[in-house]
Amino acid sequence: MQQKTMNAIKDSKGRKAFRVINVLTLSFICLIFIIPIWNVLVTSFAQDIDVMGNDYLLIPHSFTLTNYTRVLSSGYMGAFKNSLLVAIAGTILSMCITVPMGFALAQKELIGRNILMKAIVFTMVFDAGIMPFYIVVRELGLINSMGAIIFPVALSTFNLIIIKNFMTSIPTSLIESATLDGCNDLMILVRIVLPLSVSIIAAVTLFYFVSYWNRYFEVIMFINDSRKYTLQVVLRGLMFESDESLGGGTYVYNNLKMAVMVLGMLPVLIIYPFVQKHFVSGLMLGGVKG
Amino acid sequence: MTKKPKAVRIKPPLTTRISKQRYLLIMLAPGIIWYVLFKYVPLMGLSLSFTDYGFRSKVSFVGLENFQRLLTSTIFWNAFRNTLIISLANIVFYFPAPLIVALLINELRSTKAKRFIQFLIYIPYFFSWVVVGSIFVNLLSPSSGLVNNIITKFGGDPIYFMASANHFRPVLISSYIWRQMGYGAVIYVASLTTVQPELYEAATIDGAGHWGKLFYVTLPGIRSTIVTMLLLNLSHVLLIFEQVLVMYNAAVYDVADVLQTYVFREGVLSGDIGYSIAVGMFTSIISLILVLSTNKISSRFLDEPIL
Repeated sequence: MQQKTMNAIKDSKGRKAFRVINVLTLSFICLIFIIPIWNVLVTSFAQDIDVMGNDYLLIPHSFTLTNYTRVLSSGYMGAFKNSLLVAIAGTILSMCITVPMGFALAQKELIGRNILMKAIVFTMVFDAGIMPFYIVVRELGLINSMGAIIFPVALSTFNLIIIKNFMTSIPTSLIESATLDGCNDLMILVRIVLPLSVSIIAAVTLFYFVSYWNRYFEVIMFINDSRKYTLQVVLRGLMFESDESLGGGTYVYNNLKMAVMVLGMLPVLIIYPFVQKHFVSGLMLGGVKG
Repeated sequence: MTKKPKAVRIKPPLTTRISKQRYLLIMLAPGIIWYVLFKYVPLMGLSLSFTDYGFRSKVSFVGLENFQRLLTSTIFWNAFRNTLIISLANIVFYFPAPLIVALLINELRSTKAKRFIQFLIYIPYFFSWVVVGSIFVNLLSPSSGLVNNIITKFGGDPIYFMASANHFRPVLISSYIWRQMGYGAVIYVASLTTVQPELYEAATIDGAGHWGKLFYVTLPGIRSTIVTMLLLNLSHVLLIFEQVLVMYNAAVYDVADVLQTYVFREGVLSGDIGYSIAVGMFTSIISLILVLSTNKISSRFLDEPIL
């Protein structure tokens, strides 16, 4: 009896210790994620004098918007606009292709449904590679046009499967009764299925938007004209190669660089807090299962 | 008495079905065109690996010459070795990370804390490789980076992480973990909530400790998620590309050049297309074998295979 109580106490002590260690470990992990992002934000609002000393700024010494006003009036805005244009146009196109296709694939009586699903999942495990893809884009005459960074990546199998799986879970009775009322499939999609799929549509829209916004290698592969570069490309140039186009001096201080970087993270920083829960539910529905 | 006839559903003739489903087929069309154009036509393009496409205006069949060239090229083997080393490190260090973090998060009592940490560590997944690479350039900078500030405080010499052959691969792996971990962790945490609480109660009654519950209830409960994540990871581990393309520089080509960056340089920049397609095809086939064999092996542990 005494032995047993001893064990219980020991056990709970061990649990307590574990809990403390766990909280400490997770707090440390949080810091690993917060510090680098915080540093970017703080540095982007710092004055030149604060970044000259080569400190890794974590405590703001000053607050100024001059970095942003300089970036906003510089050549980087052209790239920013290109990124925005590609992301908006691309996302609209992607949704117009993905949603109807996902809806059609969710209909069990669809002709050739199984073969289509197999053919689609196959593209996830076997990729022809960069070069054949490059040749196709080149032969389509897309090189150096905005189309080259939109059309070839307009559809994501992952997003398609997310939508298809969600729409499969919509009760067929709803769809059948609408058919009896004389609705055709297009009307069913617009009137019945879409209103039920708002949260998944929101998630996929944002997945697409972020993926267009973040594109890098397609841009340097297909675009030669620097006026058509997107923000990610010029940001890479700024951060990884010495670049003197900003501020006119020979050296670009970190605060200016970080202001450009914030521009590069902007859509994510703005949109993410609102839709994080949708991202999670979207991911769960996705999986790789067809 | 006549037997009730069995309900046999006879499919209407194809033409009737097509006209009935015409709207569905119209909805499918753009997507199918896209898949043919950007996924299946490139597959046919793989046949160009048997030609000398790229340099001359007249393309001629060269048989296996490109593959022979590839096997004797030291640059190819170097890229191959780097790809394997980086992939292996990725599997060893990256793959368990989200799972461990998710298990730790799952032990937290406060729902708010759980939500907050998932919210936080999921953020970098939505940053581009350029942004993540830049964040690491900052963090590891020899003059102003946090890591080197700490090293010099303790009397060490600053390390040029981004330009050092010894340090570049660890930088690749850690930045990969930093960006991708939240994604995996969020999926695992969600998956952990689907493990039935009765199983834990039963395990407690059977006298299982915390480790016992972990190994006999929790992990088996989420095994299909673990295998799915492993397969997802394996399907692109050898195709590592954009991250390296963004972060590498001439000083670390020897340790950082992977198969895909090699393909990109040979094909897009030098125009040696036939050969670079051969290298790409080699990579894709090894990747496919890796995924399919893992799927085969893992299907033994699962009720149904993932793929």
